[in-house]
Amino acid sequence: MISINRFHVFVSWNLAFLLVLLAIPAQAQPREGAPTLSGYMEVHLNKIEDRPAEADLHRFVLMVGHSFSDRIKFWSEVEVEHALVEGEEEGGEVAVEQAYIDLLLHRRLNVRAGMVLVPVGIINERHEPPTFHGVERTFVDTVIVPTTWRDVGVGAFGDLGRGVSFKAYVTPGLDATGFTAEEGIAGGRQQGSHADASAPAMTGRIEWRRGGLTAGASGWFGGSGFGLARLDIDAPTVGVGSLDARFRRDRLELRGQWSTVSISNAGDLNQALQARSGINPNIASRLLGAYGEAAMRVSPNAWTHELVAFGRYELFDTQKRMPDGYVPLAFLQRSALTGGLTYFPDPDVAFKFDVIKEHNKSSVVHAPWRVNAGVGWWF
Amino acid sequence: MVVLIMLTNFLIVLALGIAGPQDLRTSGPQDSKSPGPRVVRITAERFAYTPSEIVVEKGTVIEFHLTSDDTDHGFRIVGTTVNAEIPKRRRGETVVTYTADIEGEFVIECSRPCGAGHTAMRARLVVK
Repeated sequence: MISINRFHVFVSWNLAFLLVLLAIPAQAQPREGAPTLSGYMEVHLNKIEDRPAEADLHRFVLMVGHSFSDRIKFWSEVEVEHALVEGEEEGGEVAVEQAYIDLLLHRRLNVRAGMVLVPVGIINERHEPPTFHGVERTFVDTVIVPTTWRDVGVGAFGDLGRGVSFKAYVTPGLDATGFTAEEGIAGGRQQGSHADASAPAMTGRIEWRRGGLTAGASGWFGGSGFGLARLDIDAPTVGVGSLDARFRRDRLELRGQWSTVSISNAGDLNQALQARSGINPNIASRLLGAYGEAAMRVSPNAWTHELVAFGRYELFDTQKRMPDGYVPLAFLQRSALTGGLTYFPDPDVAFKFDVIKEHNKSSVVHAPWRVNAGVGWWF
Repeated sequence: MVVLIMLTNFLIVLALGIAGPQDLRTSGPQDSKSPGPRVVRITAERFAYTPSEIVVEKGTVIEFHLTSDDTDHGFRIVGTTVNAEIPKRRRGETVVTYTADIEGEFVIECSRPCGAGHTAMRARLVVK
């Protein structure tokens, strides 16, 4: 067994050795030049039934990248949400969503370290507005897989050949004190800010591409109990699993995703949080989300600009399975039917419009209509 | 401890050795006696090229036909002078002719920022 001090020496020596080795070819190769700047923005107008319409500069994102050499690259993404950030008031958010270094060792095996995106599902890693239909991200990618999900981490990625690629990272776990009945694990993300790393998590994705088809399987598994250290319960373990596929040929685009979240010891977690706040959070032991979407370019081939019509059906049940003694809240067992249009005057500019009818299993709580319009662009 | 560090250093060297140095040589002039160009169609999409591996015999003249399914991407064969821009979806194609006259493995990378996975958007050209 190596002691902690010896472990640090061991890691430090090997890291230094690796960096020296990487630096040698780096010095032999020309620099690519100045850092690059890119980004995306999206502006939304949302109308939810029985509520006033709301206009929002939802996201303003700048990305800066730099190649130190052909083998060492940096990428970052800084986001301002909702246009305005004010002290001590509910408002917007400034967040670093990505900031990592890639060490490109070999096609099959490369190293990534820094603030990374959790590689689960479709949207979390591919969230530029022109890459998806609908003004807002899907409900599944909001309350089941909480995009944008990121954290400090280190791991590997590579292309295994025959269209197969993978990513695998170690990151800090979740904070179960932030879990809710309505949005599942979303509030438990540590987002790389003084993250407690005592309960690490493993996350990974394997993807296969052939022709216009991309299929992926991804997961996240880790602890979430450090926020409960003073409460006498077994730390909950969280598992997230997701399967997804995208297909594109000529005018047709299809995509679908199935995602599930399991939370162990959810009953103990509910009791502990209720003892602290006095309110039963009714956190489920299993959440389930799935959607299927079909889109068709309806504009003539002669047009360089494009008009695409799409339809989507989603299930997003954050109360799928409850721990013993807890009853699911029927209004959180939801589904939604979405129809809309996306107009691309340029492939990087998307004007969007959609209508959403939500449903739930409650006979008391009404599921609203939503009408959304927006524009998003990438540069 | 020292032995353990040396052993790990050896494994790192081994890993990099398997990876091999990137070939920095550039392509030579096209051989007029070689057969017609081999057409290779590559589609770029955030954040991958399809196909992601191209294997050719040494001396092959490759005619890359490059299109995108989304934004504009770059097509840079590392260690050569090839660095082309792939136009956006339905904006046509870029044709790049390259003579594979040097054996080795060449990394192809996206040289235009295209989003969250840009740095990992790579393919491989193998010249046997």
